[in-house]
Amino acid sequence: MMSDPRYAWVRQLAALAVLLVVWEAAGHAGYLNPLYMPTPTQIWGALAELFGGGSIWPHMQATFTAALGGLALGIVVGITLGVLAALIRPVAELLEPVMLLLNAIPRVILAPLFVIWFGIGLGSKIALAFILVAVVIFFTVFTGIRQVDKKLVERVVTLGGSRIDLLRQVYLPSVAAWVLGNLKVAVGFAFTGAVVGEFVAASRGLGYLLSFAQSTYNAALMLALVLLIMAVVLVIFALAGRLEKRLLRWS
Amino acid sequence: MRLQKPLAGKVEAGFPQSEIGILFQDDALLPWRTARENVALGPIFRGVDKKRALDAADEWLERFGLTGFEDRYPRRLSGGQRKRVAIAQAMALKPKLLLMDEPFASLDAIVRARISQEVVELVEREKISVLLVTHDLEEAIALSDAVYLLSQGPRARVTRRYDVPLPRPRDLVRAKTHPAFPPLLEKLWNDLSREVDLSAGAESVEKARAA
Repeated sequence: MMSDPRYAWVRQLAALAVLLVVWEAAGHAGYLNPLYMPTPTQIWGALAELFGGGSIWPHMQATFTAALGGLALGIVVGITLGVLAALIRPVAELLEPVMLLLNAIPRVILAPLFVIWFGIGLGSKIALAFILVAVVIFFTVFTGIRQVDKKLVERVVTLGGSRIDLLRQVYLPSVAAWVLGNLKVAVGFAFTGAVVGEFVAASRGLGYLLSFAQSTYNAALMLALVLLIMAVVLVIFALAGRLEKRLLRWS
Repeated sequence: MRLQKPLAGKVEAGFPQSEIGILFQDDALLPWRTARENVALGPIFRGVDKKRALDAADEWLERFGLTGFEDRYPRRLSGGQRKRVAIAQAMALKPKLLLMDEPFASLDAIVRARISQEVVELVEREKISVLLVTHDLEEAIALSDAVYLLSQGPRARVTRRYDVPLPRPRDLVRAKTHPAFPPLLEKLWNDLSREVDLSAGAESVEKARAA
């Protein structure tokens, strides 16, 4: 029982419970300054308040719209550019250096620029989520297509397959596999983009709430929001994982 | 076969290219297609109705003892099963000539012996010609009616032809105990050794020149 790997989750849960109890007790004993480190019950209270009044929903909606919008746009554009660059040499010569530069910088530094370009509304957040996702997907597809198994291509050609057949039977399934394999990374980036965008300048969204909590020195609200964002991303990871498993059941 | 363009001249088979099947060393099945879909690929590329191609694929799989495995993806098949699917895939195009490039090299000994025997029976029954490339002299003799010895590459050429006097239909185990087998193997081995020595000699001369 003490070392059975099947019960790892029990031990993890027990450790978490111990941590929470010690944390809570330390808070009540006066070892923790509530201004910096609120107790678990205080964080829970802040979370309950957010949901209790229903005030959280418009913010959740704003963040989700920005993240999922940027994700969808980034995947579509990333795949399109990746395929074009892999198949047409001049396109690769133009795109690769740009993408390498975009990949080399921390792309969130573009957030203030996007606020100037697209305003403090949804546009600048979608743009930031988009640029984070599109670059990752581009490289996934671009390098992926160039590494397509040569033997599969030869096989399809010797069986009499046309260029269209090659695309449908070999390239598209490969691309789908790579994109799905990177879906979790892309989801993480999409939420990073949305929240950071809201953090920089916004009137709604979880990122906006975070910066509001910071300006009012409300550590409990901040930790509650961090917890909430974690939960949201975990749920989406689980969904992405199921989609991946379904579509890649051959692997 | 659209894999490589000849530098000069052309290849004449006496029948259209579409009647040539190829079997590679690696089975190279599409991992995202089931056994059935993989076998049906060729006919579908050639415009056969999808449903009919899939039904025909099931029949081919049945012939290779793969009933019940039609819906498996290649990853969930054993090496021998994958090789059988690959053979069915090549056969589904009803080729007159089958080109094989060391098709059994990746299999372990027992599976290899069984699949070789199956292929021999298939070829004898369907009356197709096979061009087999192999390093394995015993395999070459046991399977073939004629063996051609190739010189060391690059620019390999046929150096000799040997007729194989073993009777058909052929049993691969018994073929090796046929009285004509050992002398032919010895002869092939001696000639091949000389060929390898010769090119190794040429190589060292070249190296000496370069130095």
